[in-house]
Amino acid sequence: MKSEPPNYDSAQNDDQISQRSEIISTVHTDSRQSWLKGRINLWRESGLISDEQSESIINFEAAPEDPIRLGVRFSRLIVVLSTLGAILIGSGVISFVAANWQGIPAIAKLVFLIVGQTATYLVAYQFQFVRGYPRVGGAIMFAGAAWFGANVFLVAQIYHLSTDNPDLLTWWFIGVLPLAYIARSKAITVMAVGIFVVGISWKAASQTDDAVSGLLVTSILLFVGAAIYSVGLAHMQRASTKFFAAPYMVGGALLAIIVTYMFTFAGFVNDYERNSALENFEVSSGYIALAAVVSAITIVSLMVANWKLGRSEKRLSFRLAEPAIIILTIIGGWFMAIHMFESAAPYVILFNLLLVIQIFGIIGLGVINKREAFVNIGIVFFVIDLSTRYIELTVDMLGTSLAFIIGGLLLLGVGYSMERARRRLLRQFGMMETTH
Amino acid sequence: MSSKLKRLFILVIAIQIVFLLGLVGYRETILAGGRTAILQTVPVDPRDLFKGEYVNLRYEISTLGSPQVNQDSKKFQLLGDIIEGDTVYVALSNIDGDEYSLDVQTGEPSARTDLFIKGQVATRNNDVITVDYGVEQYFVPEGSGLKIEQADELEVRVKINRSGTAAIDALIVEGEDWEP
Repeated sequence: MKSEPPNYDSAQNDDQISQRSEIISTVHTDSRQSWLKGRINLWRESGLISDEQSESIINFEAAPEDPIRLGVRFSRLIVVLSTLGAILIGSGVISFVAANWQGIPAIAKLVFLIVGQTATYLVAYQFQFVRGYPRVGGAIMFAGAAWFGANVFLVAQIYHLSTDNPDLLTWWFIGVLPLAYIARSKAITVMAVGIFVVGISWKAASQTDDAVSGLLVTSILLFVGAAIYSVGLAHMQRASTKFFAAPYMVGGALLAIIVTYMFTFAGFVNDYERNSALENFEVSSGYIALAAVVSAITIVSLMVANWKLGRSEKRLSFRLAEPAIIILTIIGGWFMAIHMFESAAPYVILFNLLLVIQIFGIIGLGVINKREAFVNIGIVFFVIDLSTRYIELTVDMLGTSLAFIIGGLLLLGVGYSMERARRRLLRQFGMMETTH
Repeated sequence: MSSKLKRLFILVIAIQIVFLLGLVGYRETILAGGRTAILQTVPVDPRDLFKGEYVNLRYEISTLGSPQVNQDSKKFQLLGDIIEGDTVYVALSNIDGDEYSLDVQTGEPSARTDLFIKGQVATRNNDVITVDYGVEQYFVPEGSGLKIEQADELEVRVKINRSGTAAIDALIVEGEDWEP
């Protein structure tokens, strides 16, 4: 008799659903506890119950150490340990091949590399989809994707192909991106996004003169941040791809805001302005083409993300805010890339304005779309920007010590307000912050 | 995993393997069928944890200047505007002569130029450009980089295909093919 195999195909989905319900359950428990405490305090103050009774009720209703929460923590630990293990094995293999170069014939090296990579994928498949160990399997799958990248570099090494070559990263990226979707792996998605960012920056560096490459590479990161974020937005349009949106959107937003923040410093742009290489400055056609391709990815992704714009229930101004901020970010990048202004001042004004728009935009979008991570990113950069501008303005005016004391007091005040605002926002999201 | 996803999973793994084998095949094709050129070189000896040990090679044709720039008896002619990041083609037809003139241009040379190498401009400083040809690293067994660095005479035999892509065939140390 043929026995029915266990349905591990949906194991990962089940796992995600159970994780989500675990989190919801935890939030509900905390919310209930908080509500109960509030009511009991009210009853006690009204004289309905005594202090002892209120304490007894609170102790009686207090939730024990939640086993579900413990389960979530434990599963995270498994993911961390498995991923670390996978990375260590991968690094060991690469180091072994690199160190024993003379001892292994070329054909043996090739066989070892390709068989090793394939075997890693097969083991990962068995663990993740057949035997029901999705976390360990996912970590081994991640190691397989890393092994493929190592293989690209090692084959290049066998043929003495220069490994200082950004195209190798492009090939690695193209090889692992589909795997991220098929294996539904956020870790491989993060790896692919990371390879894309490093590869494009490296490509941009190879297309520019050393004297101005720092600034132009930083500029390309602005385009890349906008592109990654937009690709994430496009992922939000379908239920099946929403799972992958977070690495793109969070990574893209962080990258764009960090680069914009760097460009708010007059010194950063002044170096560019004073650079003697600028007498013969000409951006290479390769760099322009690269920036154009990344910009095109952004525009296409935005079109995909907004093709249902007319049918959305949200107000038009809300719907257009996100694409508008992204397009402003790209325009800022082009101003820098083509060296639009000769003086540093217009750049500083432009990027300060852009940073403020980005910060308030991301907080606003976080609130409207209930994306907690965005609110946190916005608040962190708001405080960083505020502190930076404060220090720039006051250190010369007030003297260092007084500026620090006043600054410290202001920061404490801002921190207090932020804490209150954050709690209010979390309550709006229907969540309750845990204090333990 | 559904059977459709399973097939896609196998397809992605297969594409990765085909890609690696394709890379091997492409380099083997250049080595087997490419035209030979001997390039004078100067080694530097770095070491990298993950790449293994390799010798960094700088060629005579890595630094090119306009005819006004004195480079011994060699003349390099930069044709047209050449800037960083440009792909350039360097004609090598008469590189073996004591005195020669090499054309450096951004477009692929005409059919009359029977041997040329493709590179990318890394830097430009006034009338001098540096070019990378993708053959600037030669990987060696651990500990042997220093011996190569100390050699009196070093050349590299490259094979170049019809589109100008070069692959290192052998390192020639003091007139002999170098064996690890």
